[in-house]
Amino acid sequence: MAGNFWQSSHHQQWLLDKQDLIRERQHDLSILTEDEYQKIFIFFASVIQTLGEQLKLRQQVIATATVYFKRFYARNSLKCIDPLLLAPTCIFLASKVEEFGVISNSRLLTTCQQVIKNKFSYAYTQEFPYRTNHILECEFYLLENLDCCLIVYQPYRPLLQLVQDLGNEDQLFTLAWRIVNDSLRTDVCLLYPPYQIAIGCIQFACVILQKDHKVWFAELNVDIEKIQEICRYIINLYELWKQYDEKKEIQGLLAKMPKPKPAPQR
Amino acid sequence: MENHCGTRAVSIMLKLAANKLALCSFSARLELNNTTKTMQKYEKLEKIGEGTYGTVFKAKNRESHEIVALKRVRLDDDDEGVPSSALREICLLKELKHKNIVRLYDVLHSDKKLTLVFEHCDQDLKKYFDSLNGDIDLDVVKSFMFQLLRGLAFCHSHNVLHRDLKPQNLLINKNGELKLADFGLARAFGIPVKCYSAEVVTLWYRPPDVLFGAKLYTTSIDMWSAGCIFAELANAGRPLFPGSDVDDQLRRIFKLLGTPTEDTWSGMTQLPDYKPFPLYQLSMSFTQVVPKLGSRGRDLLQRLLVCNPMQRLSADDAMAHRYFSDLNPAIKNDRC
Repeated sequence: MAGNFWQSSHHQQWLLDKQDLIRERQHDLSILTEDEYQKIFIFFASVIQTLGEQLKLRQQVIATATVYFKRFYARNSLKCIDPLLLAPTCIFLASKVEEFGVISNSRLLTTCQQVIKNKFSYAYTQEFPYRTNHILECEFYLLENLDCCLIVYQPYRPLLQLVQDLGNEDQLFTLAWRIVNDSLRTDVCLLYPPYQIAIGCIQFACVILQKDHKVWFAELNVDIEKIQEICRYIINLYELWKQYDEKKEIQGLLAKMPKPKPAPQR
Repeated sequence: MENHCGTRAVSIMLKLAANKLALCSFSARLELNNTTKTMQKYEKLEKIGEGTYGTVFKAKNRESHEIVALKRVRLDDDDEGVPSSALREICLLKELKHKNIVRLYDVLHSDKKLTLVFEHCDQDLKKYFDSLNGDIDLDVVKSFMFQLLRGLAFCHSHNVLHRDLKPQNLLINKNGELKLADFGLARAFGIPVKCYSAEVVTLWYRPPDVLFGAKLYTTSIDMWSAGCIFAELANAGRPLFPGSDVDDQLRRIFKLLGTPTEDTWSGMTQLPDYKPFPLYQLSMSFTQVVPKLGSRGRDLLQRLLVCNPMQRLSADDAMAHRYFSDLNPAIKNDRC
């Protein structure tokens, strides 16, 4: 679905307002601080990324899964579904939508078990608790909460085009691509259209590489304010990362996180 | 809200409680909405048919009394979850809103079933043909063909291939509107073009490149099918190439259009399933093929039915063809 972003459900339904996000998160933010909330999402973005890499998915599929995950919690509290269940479900749905081919459920579950055990044992001491029926049921709720808007535009394609226009600098492209990946750990994918995110990431990369493309940026017909906002989100992410040791803190955060109420006993 | 759940929600809670998982509160909360939505909103009237992945029912919205079509998706494969063909249809129709494309109103789910709620149309083109007794108004042919092309142009401008066009997938309503339906095999295409599976289009409407096993195809696949449907329209429902297998299908095509050569279609002999056919010459003129269609209509048909996919007319160009110059302006200007 290239080239028709303006008529897409992504543009019409899923570019959210900052104020809406704050309002929807009110409940979770009465329990967690904003930093803690973001740290939890950074953690689960890494879980999705690691699962996707283990399953050898393209970055596009991983990014789509991450956006599903963020969209779900943009409208729901963390207590609605355990993010540890939603994360693989997002991968499952995204791989079908992005036509990567269906990942068999058993392969998905085996991968979840391995990844949790081998890469995230600092967060979870017990093994991955969910089974096929949970993923399939969760897929329904995900589908509904996304309002069946499954086609997500990513910054990767505009990034490629923009860097080509800039004269194809490999180093710049690689760095900007990585920054786009990192941006999935912020709210920008919920707030800004992908081409603006791509431009923001290029600008950020230019600053790091000390490349002067002022003229090129000036000629882009974009809202510079928005680009600056995107950059600010990314700076904040890197600042947060600098002074944060996930391995030490995440268990405490996951324990503090709002959770589904336990089932009534009968 | 968990305290107000319906019976289904309670059963889910129990099931999950048994699993000792803290999953239930979301189930309960969300399930409640769905149950209400599915069970009460629509009154099922009658079975209409079987789609690619499930049964289709006619139903009535209890509040608005609007008639809709419900497509029940079977979820029998425990491993796949929501079938990818259904997902494809859902996500594409969510993006494609146009007068000549069937509208997806809603997606409902309840216990292991997914129901897609579509706008209802009175019949499909196949059934319409059956009711004709071999006679069709040429203005209707022109109107339907134009609407088919307009729906296709919209899909193609959104980088979506339908891939399975046939009279059964074209819906007609009382106002003479035609809508593309059944996007279960459709897919969004983008750059880079990937290999698509070769087994997609119903044989009769399959272009020769796909019949020769071409794996890289584009919007041209739909344009060939549109050509076949155009001829079928003009002949009041007699299919143009009713082949019985791939060989027979190609033979019928080449007998009418002449067997292509590397000169007329460069790259043909390199296609995966290529095999040589006798060099048929153009034996029959298009006047015999579509006797009722005028010279402009025949010209349009010949520009769609081109073996070389590169030379087939696009939907936009076909709409601009002079065959449509005297189309009723009410149809022509009726934008989405």
